[in-house]
Amino acid sequence: MPTPTKGARLGGSPSHQRAILANLATALFEHGRITTTETKARRLRPVAERLITKAKRGDLHARRQVASTIRDKEIVHVLFTEIGPRYENRNGGYTRIVKIGPRKGDNAPMAVIELVEPLAEQVIQEATSATRRAAADVTAAEETVDVDVTDETADVTEDTADVADSDADTAEEATDASDETADAAEAEPEGKA
Amino acid sequence: MAVPKRKMSRSNTRHRRSQWKAKLPQIQRRTVNGRTTWVVAHRAHVVEDSQGTALFREYNGRQVGDA
Repeated sequence: MPTPTKGARLGGSPSHQRAILANLATALFEHGRITTTETKARRLRPVAERLITKAKRGDLHARRQVASTIRDKEIVHVLFTEIGPRYENRNGGYTRIVKIGPRKGDNAPMAVIELVEPLAEQVIQEATSATRRAAADVTAAEETVDVDVTDETADVTEDTADVADSDADTAEEATDASDETADAAEAEPEGKA
Repeated sequence: MAVPKRKMSRSNTRHRRSQWKAKLPQIQRRTVNGRTTWVVAHRAHVVEDSQGTALFREYNGRQVGDA
């Protein structure tokens, strides 16, 4: 039997706590993994695991008991047909709590509570997102290389254009010619580099 | 409303204030791909790629949701 919880009710009153825990359990069975405060995750764990145990039993009485907590019939169906059978060979310990540090805003310690064996959709989603990230990494690396090359070629073309201008000027004005040819001489090594 | 019965002496005030100290955070060094990072014990940490973009949270070698 789990240790009785210490301290005040979540939300202030017993009915509010029941509502909070029921909603959290519903969200957990819908998504397979939810982020909440550490306190709520700790309170949710025995509630959710008891519901899963009932789902494993699978009879009408168990279904009615679960339905009195989880009001969404679709979630009850998922719980009895998918989540319950998945834990056939596991006696308790259906959920996992991982701490993820304080929340921005009120510094409340947050945690992720998840079903131990993930939903099929969740696995696919994570795999695809991981591959997308890997692909993004590769393309990002290529892009940085490409950008460098184009910048260098642009510099070269600008420098050569400067040289051409200064040549034209030398023909017209002899006085400025010496300065600008000097500029051109400076520009050329850059162009080569 | 509660009201103080006596004046708090300057000495008592200053002794109390001098006891307020900063604590060193309990963090551990961890090397990922040649880069050193610091992690808090018993807490999921964010995994980054080579560009420093956050990818996902990880704990005990297991992925724990998005960053």
